[in-house]
Amino acid sequence: MKCLTLILIALITPIISASAFEETYLRAQNAYDNGNYAEAVVLYQDLIRDGLTNMELHYNLANAAFKDGDLPLAVRHYRLAWYQAPRDPDIQANLHFALNAAGAIEPTSSLQERFLKSLSNDEWSAMALGSYLLLALILTLSLLIRTASPVLLKLSLLPTALLILSFAGIRGWSRLERSPEWVVVKAEATALHSPINGSAAYYKIPQGALVQQKRTDPKGWVEVQYDKRSGWLKADDYIQRLSP
Amino acid sequence: MKPESRKLILLHLFLGTFLLAQGVFAEDVQISIQPELISRLDRATLKVEFIDAKGKDVEIPKIDGLDIRYQGQSSETRIVNFKSSSKTIHTYVVTPKKTGDYIIGPVKARFKGGEKTLQANLRVVEPKDDPEAQQIAEVMFAHISASSGDPFVQQPFDLTLKVYIRGDIQIAGSFGLQGGMPESGLDGELEWDVSRGKREEINGTIFNTYILHTTTKALTAGNFTFQPGVQVNVVIPRQRRRSYGFDDPFFGDFFGRQETRPIVLDCNQIEVEVKPIPVNSRPESFTGGVGLFDFDVQVGPAKVMTGEPITVKMRIYGEGNLSKITPPSIEENHEFKLYEARTVSSGNSNEVLFEQVMIPKSDAITHIPEIEFSYFNTQTADFRTISRGPFPVTVEAAPQQTAQIIATVPGSVQQETQIIGRDIVYLKPVPKCWRTKVTIPWYRTKIAYVLLPLPALLLIITAIASTRINILKRNPALARRQQAPKVARKYLQKADRALKKQDHATYYEALWNTLTAYFGHRLNLPPGEVTPQKIGELIPEEIESINQLFCTIEQRRYGSDKIGTEDLETLKKQITTLMHKCERMKI
Repeated sequence: MKCLTLILIALITPIISASAFEETYLRAQNAYDNGNYAEAVVLYQDLIRDGLTNMELHYNLANAAFKDGDLPLAVRHYRLAWYQAPRDPDIQANLHFALNAAGAIEPTSSLQERFLKSLSNDEWSAMALGSYLLLALILTLSLLIRTASPVLLKLSLLPTALLILSFAGIRGWSRLERSPEWVVVKAEATALHSPINGSAAYYKIPQGALVQQKRTDPKGWVEVQYDKRSGWLKADDYIQRLSP
Repeated sequence: MKPESRKLILLHLFLGTFLLAQGVFAEDVQISIQPELISRLDRATLKVEFIDAKGKDVEIPKIDGLDIRYQGQSSETRIVNFKSSSKTIHTYVVTPKKTGDYIIGPVKARFKGGEKTLQANLRVVEPKDDPEAQQIAEVMFAHISASSGDPFVQQPFDLTLKVYIRGDIQIAGSFGLQGGMPESGLDGELEWDVSRGKREEINGTIFNTYILHTTTKALTAGNFTFQPGVQVNVVIPRQRRRSYGFDDPFFGDFFGRQETRPIVLDCNQIEVEVKPIPVNSRPESFTGGVGLFDFDVQVGPAKVMTGEPITVKMRIYGEGNLSKITPPSIEENHEFKLYEARTVSSGNSNEVLFEQVMIPKSDAITHIPEIEFSYFNTQTADFRTISRGPFPVTVEAAPQQTAQIIATVPGSVQQETQIIGRDIVYLKPVPKCWRTKVTIPWYRTKIAYVLLPLPALLLIITAIASTRINILKRNPALARRQQAPKVARKYLQKADRALKKQDHATYYEALWNTLTAYFGHRLNLPPGEVTPQKIGELIPEEIESINQLFCTIEQRRYGSDKIGTEDLETLKKQITTLMHKCERMKI
């Protein structure tokens, strides 16, 4: 009997949690619709604090933060949503809009990088697995059916190419883990020439801008790249780290 | 003394000598340096000796001030008391660059008998009465000087290092600078330009000069000391330092054998006091410029509609820390939106260009406010402010009164303006399923790690099986050879069943078939050719037992003698043993 009760609790708890999440989500949406953007931000942040990481949640929180005038928070969560759904046109448009409102330059990337970021890390992983299974199947069949072997071997080039491409895509995303992006959260962020207090100022970075980490310093300085220039910023003072 | 006692003493002496010899020649490794006290111009020889043991050369760690180079390996054999002893000696040449007390090591030397930690001490002195040391300082030296006495922070200043080498001394390779420079506070690494200077005469001696020049600036105020150690590679006679011939250290030996030797030259010390930029009188429009500059501003277009961009182009030119200057600020105004200024690349190293975009929000704007640029003038040691403007502009109201959001792309030199929309895209609906941080992606689960190798494994197994089938198809002899034990086993089982039923005829037939089937497959013989003679030809080692077995079975098959069960079992065992032997044979 005790065991049955425990099983029932285990089955029911996620359903109750899901409905509670949904209720908070809808309340946040209502707050947004009624123009209570600050309240919507708090409710969406509560859901994130509960451990939820859905793309929709980051996107909606970013929208609420944008309307509330908190551009760094908006850019941060648009970017987090983009990591999960890089082809979503709504995310792309709003991130573009928010960065422009902040007067910040959008991160530039090469054609190859743009292509590799057209799929998310999960999508590349799924493609890698699919290609791997298909390749194994085709090669096994080519061994078993000797007459069809030449055709099957030619056909195996397709999953091989897809597999290589998938690894390139996964590697592209893992590069973001090594040199992550940061959001400038405070105004008057001035990149310095060297990681020393009192070093000469190099250039200013607007609040809400996305910058790319190049390297770090043990004293808490981060060398960031923005608008094709690299300068040093104190991490605790001006920037907040983003990671996929 | 009794003869027996004398013999005993002699025996003890002999044994003692033998044991001593054993002790002397036990495996060991030793380090030695000769001489242990040298002048800065001398060299010492470091030896690592493996006694009665073999060992590789040890890796000596780098020591600041010493150049230790491996020369090679030699061996030595000695015979003492009829006992031979050998040494493997690894030799290193130690060349000092500076004076001081040095500890070489500890290094670990490994040999067959074990491992030993070795260490050697070396003292390098520069004796005042060493005429050669004095001679070196007289014939080669360096002199450093700074361009201006007391520069300000961020003010570039020149450092010139002049190297004097007596006219008849040859040097090889480039110059190396070792320490003697401030560890921090200077802007980046110093890059030295080397050029050949004019010949100069000092106290009747002619010197070749080399000029090393660099420009630097200090990031912080304070005293900066410069006394670099300039290393040159001097060409000197090989293996001879003190006897250069004809009392000249750089004359060269009779046979003209030469080698290069690094020598760090004496250099004077200079102190550069870097003064701070004053703080009290610093204007608000100071953006870090230190030097002597001028300032220009261009504003365009002069006539726009609300929402259209106006570009302010600022040009600062002159001499000083242009790359460190941040853009002059334009006074913020609620009537226009001001974008961040950006640096525009300029082909001229004596100027820096900034562009700043501003968008008028109202048609009430009549001018762009005055723009100030302040810098610290290093010649007059005070702040100077240059003002440009105000710049008259005409702003007309846009036909549509609704505000437009303009996207500017400051990253490109040419301004691109596009209307990207009036508002952000609306919210997303409730997700179909909730994703949590603790949710591990499916491809990182344990099940995935277990299942992922399976297709590859299946492929490998299929490949092995397919290859095997193909080999057997191409080689029927091999296929039959592999089938031989299986076929024999089948007939032996049949024989067992017959034995249980006491059906002797079937039993012998089964044994006969076991032999013919086994050897037929084993030797790839057609059914008609499986005879004791043919088998004996191919397996001569077992010809007797084969003939005997065939004969016995044939006799008993067609004979009427009553045979006991034990004999029947023995016959079967003999066949099994024969087959086992043949399995192990290479035929």
